[in-house]
Amino acid sequence: MPGLLAEGPAPLLPDPTRPRRARFLRGIGGFIVRRLLLGLLTLFVASLLIFTATQALPGDAARSILGRTATPASLAALREQLGLKKPVVEQYTDWIGGVFRGDLGTSLAAGLPVTSLIGERIKYSGFLMLVAAIISVPLAVLIGAVSARRRDGPFDHVMSTITLALAALPEFVVAIALGVIFSTTVFHFLPSVGLYEPGVAPWRYPRELVLPTLTLIIAVTPYIARIMRASMVEILESDYVEMARLKGLSERLVLWRHAVPNGIAPTFQVIAINLAYLAGGIVVVESVFKYPGIGAGFVDAVSSRDMPVVQAYALLIAGLYVVLNLLADVATILVSPRLRTSLK
Amino acid sequence: MTDAGEPVESDGAVNGLTREELLRGAAVGGVLIATGGLSELADAAVAKPKRGGTFRLGITGGGAKDFIDGQHIVAKTDIARLVTAFEGLSYFNEKYKPVNSLAEELKAEKANQWLIRLRPGIEFHNGKTVTADDVIYSIRRTLDPKLGLFGRGSFGAVDPNRMKKLDKRTVRLFLTRADVTLIDAFSQYFQGIVPVGYCPDGLGSRTQNKLRYIGTGPYKVQSFVPGRQSVHVRNANYWRSGQPYFDKVIIIDFPDDTARINALLGGQVDAITDVPYAQLPLIRRRSNLKVYEAPTGAWNPISMRLDVPPFNDLRVRQAMRLLINRKQVVQEALAGHGRVANDIYSPFDLCYAGDEFPQHAYDPDKARSLLKAAAREGLTVDLQTSAADTGMVEEALILAQNARAAGVTINVKNLDGGTFYGDQYLKWPFATDYWGTRNYLQQVGVGSLKESPFNESHWDASPNYDRFVSLYRQALATVNGKKRCAIVKQMQRLEYDTGGHIIPYFKNLTDAYSKKVGGFKIDRGTLNLNKYGNGFRTIYFVQ
Repeated sequence: MPGLLAEGPAPLLPDPTRPRRARFLRGIGGFIVRRLLLGLLTLFVASLLIFTATQALPGDAARSILGRTATPASLAALREQLGLKKPVVEQYTDWIGGVFRGDLGTSLAAGLPVTSLIGERIKYSGFLMLVAAIISVPLAVLIGAVSARRRDGPFDHVMSTITLALAALPEFVVAIALGVIFSTTVFHFLPSVGLYEPGVAPWRYPRELVLPTLTLIIAVTPYIARIMRASMVEILESDYVEMARLKGLSERLVLWRHAVPNGIAPTFQVIAINLAYLAGGIVVVESVFKYPGIGAGFVDAVSSRDMPVVQAYALLIAGLYVVLNLLADVATILVSPRLRTSLK
Repeated sequence: MTDAGEPVESDGAVNGLTREELLRGAAVGGVLIATGGLSELADAAVAKPKRGGTFRLGITGGGAKDFIDGQHIVAKTDIARLVTAFEGLSYFNEKYKPVNSLAEELKAEKANQWLIRLRPGIEFHNGKTVTADDVIYSIRRTLDPKLGLFGRGSFGAVDPNRMKKLDKRTVRLFLTRADVTLIDAFSQYFQGIVPVGYCPDGLGSRTQNKLRYIGTGPYKVQSFVPGRQSVHVRNANYWRSGQPYFDKVIIIDFPDDTARINALLGGQVDAITDVPYAQLPLIRRRSNLKVYEAPTGAWNPISMRLDVPPFNDLRVRQAMRLLINRKQVVQEALAGHGRVANDIYSPFDLCYAGDEFPQHAYDPDKARSLLKAAAREGLTVDLQTSAADTGMVEEALILAQNARAAGVTINVKNLDGGTFYGDQYLKWPFATDYWGTRNYLQQVGVGSLKESPFNESHWDASPNYDRFVSLYRQALATVNGKKRCAIVKQMQRLEYDTGGHIIPYFKNLTDAYSKKVGGFKIDRGTLNLNKYGNGFRTIYFVQ
């Protein structure tokens, strides 16, 4: 949900009463190491939570695989084969033990190694996320900064209306509308769905990628732009910007050199959350365009109660949140002189 | 009984009526209807077939748990893939009449003794000739309780230990009880003949068994990625000469309706299954596309359990059957793509009597007085349903709305598939479900007996059940079709008067395909698109 505009974890300010850390835990490097360790803990807790939640779902993998035709005998045989008869705690420890050995296990539903099942989906989701981010982040920062600079001017009003309207549209509406406009009804120059051959890299399908990428750009740009604008409006009214202006600096220099670096800090958090969302939360967009990403794979795994695959996706997405939040915090620290010095 | 309309049917065995076929015709229902020349063609003009090309099908559903097995299916994706590579001894033609396939002869010598003779020289994909041993192995595998295969219920009468190989291509089956309807069981598409040694421990593609894709079908499996797609290449050694037409068939999973329709509109696939009724006009407006609409025997019962209150009271069941406005259900739940039913299944059975009995109609006043007599006025019940099949949720909601007129409150619980078909499945007191086309006695075997795998209404709790079962056994032992129909009608009467199903409609299949493709025939069976163009072998690109 890109609508979640809550702040990310507050940048950790050093507590002066705290004893001094070992050298390698100090400074920005230390900060990253500490956060990564905390991240591992987060992942562990997440995996426990997901495992418990999967167990609480009615039905199990055997029932889901055999479907409506399951008989008591075939259920018993399959449960035995899948290891579902073991105590729940043992199932979990078996799985986590495997993870520490670098083995994510075998999919219950497909009978294939989890890595082979999710590898390609990770590649596809990662690529889509990357392309969408490379286009939407600079675009949003630009729109936000210029809107704030020309506050209440025509550009600001138009952009404000457009971003608000687009932010209000669910992605699947955007996805379907783009399909109608560019491929099925009005014009016919783009493929409406991608028939991606298994084993072929996503960048081999530039035409198929246009609509999904466009949908995601439309989905995330408005949020980032609006946060950027709000933050910039505040900064542009602050004393130090006034000071810079009074010094006689050009408006351009004031904006891009002095205001933007500070204004962009809160935006990093929103960018991080939006990017993580792009990786796993766009199930509907993936299914409308038949894009083989991890969102659809995750949903499929949950519906077939495929515990090892569910866990793998959950860890992946949780890991992505940890890393992106960390990157956002680091970036925030690096662009904010005050935070930078306080970490020394 | 020629299989008219199939462009090429080289083997002579289907021409002319043999004694066996007469007997089999009698076994199926007593009346023999020659289908020759009467086949409706889905295509107005019969265009000339062209050889070759790659046919792409967009299929409903798909996920990591998809598999390919010659004798089992769970989802629609599994069906479409099965029929490319596997065939049975016989199959239902588009009129829902059994026609020999791998069998040259398939007949009841006596009501409890069947003879199977294979056509000579048919080869599996690995070049091995199909023999009596493969037939025996295939039947044994179907009956293996550990595998839980779909067809097991219909072969209940076969004694797995007394199958006798008479010669290289002839087998005699001895049944533990009479069953003249075994031909129906053999004609089910999931009753594929597989080679000896085929996946004894699990479902085809889920095993590493080297025979897992080996059948006799028109295409060989080239690749399969569960949840994504499968590629099937022409079996150059196929036994029906001139078939199949395509060089390659690609079956692509489309869990999403919008994506599937868009793929057809954009020309990325040549046919799709299951166009939602609301989208049909969109397809009809396109000059390059065609809607395939087939009235089938598919039904979505609302089942009441006879062994639990309040439905253990006959008057409550009768009241419920009067509380659904069937015309409204057909109009609203199916957008008119179906026909009103009368609480009896199997409309294509030659003994079907549902339209001879007075039509159950919406009558809230009568229902109210029945409920009053049962001391169940102002009844409140939960109705469990799931969006597993079109109509299941809609009919439940319409029943709930209709029932209010009689002061009955029905709380519709729309559950996700995993929950609905989970541990409580077949135990819900009041629930919907879905079924395809089947003949009456076959359907009784899978759904209306105490030992049936899908005993939904728990009809065995009825005081009429013993009589029903004795009629059933009698029918299975009656070779004379007319006499059997008389018995079957008595069974239907019992279910009509006192049964636990509300069957509001039989519905149509609605698929769509590109006009570049020809050869589809309107089919009464459960499978989409004329049984996927009869395993992709009777359809072709037009010139």
